[in-house]
Amino acid sequence: MNEINDVNDTGDLAVLRLDEFLAHPPARVWQALTDPGLLARWFMPGDFRLAVGHRYTMAGMAMPGTGFSGTVQAEVLAFEPERMLRLGWRDADPASRAAADWTITWTLEPEGRGTRLFLTHEGFDPGSELQRRARSIMDGGWRHLLTDRLAAVL
Amino acid sequence: MERVDITPAAPAEDEIFAALASPVRREVLRLLREQGPQSVQDLASGFAMARPSFSEHLRVLREAGLVSERRDGRRRLYRLEAVPLARVRDWLDPYERFWRGRLTGLRDLLDGMDDTDGTDDMDDIGDAAALGRTGDQETR
Repeated sequence: MNEINDVNDTGDLAVLRLDEFLAHPPARVWQALTDPGLLARWFMPGDFRLAVGHRYTMAGMAMPGTGFSGTVQAEVLAFEPERMLRLGWRDADPASRAAADWTITWTLEPEGRGTRLFLTHEGFDPGSELQRRARSIMDGGWRHLLTDRLAAVL
Repeated sequence: MERVDITPAAPAEDEIFAALASPVRREVLRLLREQGPQSVQDLASGFAMARPSFSEHLRVLREAGLVSERRDGRRRLYRLEAVPLARVRDWLDPYERFWRGRLTGLRDLLDGMDDTDGTDDMDDIGDAAALGRTGDQETR
């Protein structure tokens, strides 16, 4: 996981951003992002189809502590082949406390002989209890400390 | 800290979060993490506040389990206790953990496929099928 850089030290807790270098060409990464069979192997099984407006569900996104039901109602919002894929995610259970209404954006950029894959997960409710707690302790690079360096003391 | 409807949390978690809500206490933890166990005197020297106030911060950290104290002669040595911090991390950003886990899975999957020819298709699809993959590869 050392290729992941957390660039979300700015305190903007409504957005989660991660990126990772993958030693594979964008075409290959794109395939992994859009092929239902491959998606089932690394992400979640679901009836994905690369077409704007296509809706599908995915089960099995366990999120302990968030109130998220674990089933995603997803929709393809936009895409540019081998460059960008944007998905809308809602909690399939409307009664869920997480009340998710997220936008997930994958962005692919060629880097050397591989690809840098950016993930943006937007739409967190900054007023939620979890977010308030997080915000209260996330200044000063604290997030970075917790996520990246904690192993040093364990 | 205001309480609203959240996942039932052990009181200790509230204590931990309350302890972390103070920049002074976070700085204490940072010093302990970076410099290792140290005495109250050494710790306090980095903070411009009266000793009783500083001691109160240490008490909060102690009761949250984030630091521990032991006697060393006349000195009291403080050290960081990592386990509560690990719980905070796990609690704090389950989404980040989720994505990191998935990205690891993606990397493993891609590394297990052959794309050295750069054409990224049929030969590898066969491999994928052999591994139990189903579905339509013509999605690009």
